[in-house]
Amino acid sequence: MILKKAEIETSDRLLRTLELGFKNKEDEESFRFIPGQFCELSILGKGEAPFGIASSPIEKTALKFTINKAGVVTTALHQIEAGSEIGIRGPLGNGYPIDFFEGKNLLVIGGGFAFTTLRSLVAYYLHPENRTKVKQITVVYGARMPGLLLYKDELLEWEKRDDIKLVTTVDWGDKDWKGKVGLVPNVLEEIAPSSENTCAVICGPPIMIKFTFPKLVALRFPNERIFTSLEKRMKCGIGKCGRCNIGHLYVCKDGPVFSYAQLEKLPKDY
Amino acid sequence: MMFNLDKKDFDHFLKDLLETHDLFAPVQLTEGVSVFKKIDNPGEVSLSQLVPQKSAKEVFFPQSEVMFRYQIAGNQGPTVSEQKIERERILLGARPCDIEAISIIEKVFTGEDYTDVYFAEKRKRTTIIGLGCNHPLSTCFCSSTGGGPFNRAGSDLFFTDLGDAYFVELLTEKGMAFRVNKFFKEADSEDLGLMKEIEDKASQKVDRTVPVEGIEKRLDLMVESPFWDRAHEKCIGCGVCTFLCPTCHCFDITDEAVNQKGQRVRNWDSCLFPIYSLETSGHNPRPTGRERTRQRLMHKFNYYPKNFGRVACVGCGRCILYCPVQFDIREALVYASAKRGKGRKGKFK
Amino acid sequence: MVQQQLREKAKELLSNKTVDLIIGFGEWTLPLRTTPVFIRTPEGAKSLVWNSFCENNLTAYLHKFSRLKVGLVVKGCDARSVTALSLEKRFPNHPPLLIGIPCQRLVDRKKVKKAVKGEILQAVEQGDLLLVKGENFEVSLKREDFLYASCRSCAHRTPHQAHILIGDPVEEVSLVDAHPEVSKLEGMSPEERWSFFEKETSRCIRCYACREACPMCYCAECFVDSSRPRWIEKSLSPSDLAFYHIVRAFHQTGRCSGCGACERACPMDIRLTFLTQKLNQEVKDLYGFETGIQPEAAPPLSTFDPEDEQEFIK
Repeated sequence: MILKKAEIETSDRLLRTLELGFKNKEDEESFRFIPGQFCELSILGKGEAPFGIASSPIEKTALKFTINKAGVVTTALHQIEAGSEIGIRGPLGNGYPIDFFEGKNLLVIGGGFAFTTLRSLVAYYLHPENRTKVKQITVVYGARMPGLLLYKDELLEWEKRDDIKLVTTVDWGDKDWKGKVGLVPNVLEEIAPSSENTCAVICGPPIMIKFTFPKLVALRFPNERIFTSLEKRMKCGIGKCGRCNIGHLYVCKDGPVFSYAQLEKLPKDY
Repeated sequence: MMFNLDKKDFDHFLKDLLETHDLFAPVQLTEGVSVFKKIDNPGEVSLSQLVPQKSAKEVFFPQSEVMFRYQIAGNQGPTVSEQKIERERILLGARPCDIEAISIIEKVFTGEDYTDVYFAEKRKRTTIIGLGCNHPLSTCFCSSTGGGPFNRAGSDLFFTDLGDAYFVELLTEKGMAFRVNKFFKEADSEDLGLMKEIEDKASQKVDRTVPVEGIEKRLDLMVESPFWDRAHEKCIGCGVCTFLCPTCHCFDITDEAVNQKGQRVRNWDSCLFPIYSLETSGHNPRPTGRERTRQRLMHKFNYYPKNFGRVACVGCGRCILYCPVQFDIREALVYASAKRGKGRKGKFK
Repeated sequence: MVQQQLREKAKELLSNKTVDLIIGFGEWTLPLRTTPVFIRTPEGAKSLVWNSFCENNLTAYLHKFSRLKVGLVVKGCDARSVTALSLEKRFPNHPPLLIGIPCQRLVDRKKVKKAVKGEILQAVEQGDLLLVKGENFEVSLKREDFLYASCRSCAHRTPHQAHILIGDPVEEVSLVDAHPEVSKLEGMSPEERWSFFEKETSRCIRCYACREACPMCYCAECFVDSSRPRWIEKSLSPSDLAFYHIVRAFHQTGRCSGCGACERACPMDIRLTFLTQKLNQEVKDLYGFETGIQPEAAPPLSTFDPEDEQEFIK
């Protein structure tokens, strides 16, 4: 893939969204994925790492990935310039269960920079072709500070729409922030979306999930309808190298999306 | 089909094979230490050590393997090159446990979804000559895991050491290609009788009492058991058991580069190393030896069976022989099994 | 008998709660071996054994149990490791209670294995003799001929730093003038030495048994695991193997007690002690320092004194 465009997303400069274009037209045409899947991006000489696909399957000409600068590979991905070549393997993983979501309401809860695949999911459903596949869409997205929210332009557009209810919140506001101030679990409690015929998808840092999950339970969401995308150290991405296993399942191959009903039966290895 | 290969002809037999094949056999590195290696002349082969430290998995899944090399020239994209397997290969002198282990790894590496091409290609182009174990060790428990000292599954040819000759059986299509080998003489009923005698004696000797039956169900109930708090205490967290184990197959992938040239390499890794599951955020889902020891035993005796229907242990006993602190997997199984207290007496408290 | 006294003492210490945990040696499943045992109850004390197969340096476990009051069974070399670790301030909360046993020198099980033909099923000590039995053989070996090289050259077998001493002190004399491997090394030319080192380490499989068995290796992140900067790759290239062993040996210099745990742990029989013992010898020659002998003596490579005599720092 070739890097077409890159943009720093956050005020701390640690998140950068890459827009990658395909080198060959055949690849572009044959690349099919569903929201929630990921790809392994390679920088030759530095290594390879997995990243959730942030663009939705409707955006055909390019793939977007939001990279958190943390180690060798991600630092290299922050440094490359437009025109550089990046290796890619994908799409990998199971993706969100869009068949299961069909006909239901969708509640999306995101925290910090875990919002990448959630963006893919929401953008997928907001497209006119797919909007009728689910009923109500409610999105609760929180970050520590306003500058750390991802996809700010897009969030503004979503707020203007009437076929999606978007609530953004921050832990600490600033003088320009007009939205809610509060932790995601508390905001969720406040909005109290109905659990009837609704699927919840939650992605965020472990601490956020720890306090949000009980709120979902209190709202009567059953474990079969609460989904999450797990993170685990990965290398091969295809279930061979052994390292991402949780019990007998591999996060790269049988996940990364799991329902809580599945996770209940597995060891707490995540 | 059965033949007799006189030991006087053995070196000639190997030399003949070396002309057309890459030959892998146990080689003694120093007294008491053997590994499976590619040999260049028959004199290197050493079959005296029943359980070489490094198992035959090395032949299909090397400890360090270059997956591809690349070179970036100027503004062009990188040129990537892979190693091709030049000649057909023969694995000689692997024991039934190691051969069984290869099929265990194969189930993971050649699944329905994705295939590990490096392993698969090597496996396809290798003929396996198995060797029966005339004198199993007291640490061998292959019979407890569904194998046996003369288990022929997976071997294309099977040799039995009769003393001054090898009894040769051709078992598969690949093996049949050897029927015209000029060093193979016809076997007679005496050879056959001797082979059977050796096989019976060896099969009686191997430990059948290690409680592997039903271990999966038992471990299902033990995920949060206090057993793990004690089990991991003496484990020092090195990689001996995982590296020497013929079924362990975890690996790490890294890029090595100098300026514009480099390679992507995979190296064996061990779930017992602390950084194995360490995430970039600093979170480690397996922070202590307790979780890591649990992962190792559960993977072998619970997770793998759930996916593939058998335990990922062949009873070779390497982890027992070479563990620096004598963590005995048999004792762990006895403790975990439903027969604890009855049948085989365990030492674990 | 030492073993009996050890059990009684352990029972006493656990009964009156002087310690929460006793780490010692116990009998296990293979001949010529013992295994580390972790005793928490007075009744458990009867699992403790003492014989010539107690080869591990149990000090390595102290890092894991730093929150408990631990009673540790130590030989002379093990106690020296504890002293070295105390100087490095590894026991701020609960310094271990040392139960010392003057060591009769340990039997090299790999050497015994090479001396017989067939699998050893039983090995029993009887005075100076080692009775070794297999399926088809029974031999009586002279114990003294089968000692670990590091034990033969040991002159610090009594753990003087121990709080409790079980058994009588022994004569502190080395059986040989110098460590056999070190003498061999010193007789070689530099090219021969490099060739010897390369050949020994060529067997290495990067299992890190040597590192984990060593009580002095306790870094939260070992240099081999560092990714920024990445000092060393994870493969088996000769340069990686040489780098790993040389750097690890130098990290031990001035800290190694010569216990031999690294060599004993190695599944590929790499003679690691030639490297560590040679470095220990150099430290002794240059600085007059031996690890863990004097409780307050500062390790020369970690400390600086304006009165230091060495030329290279003036």
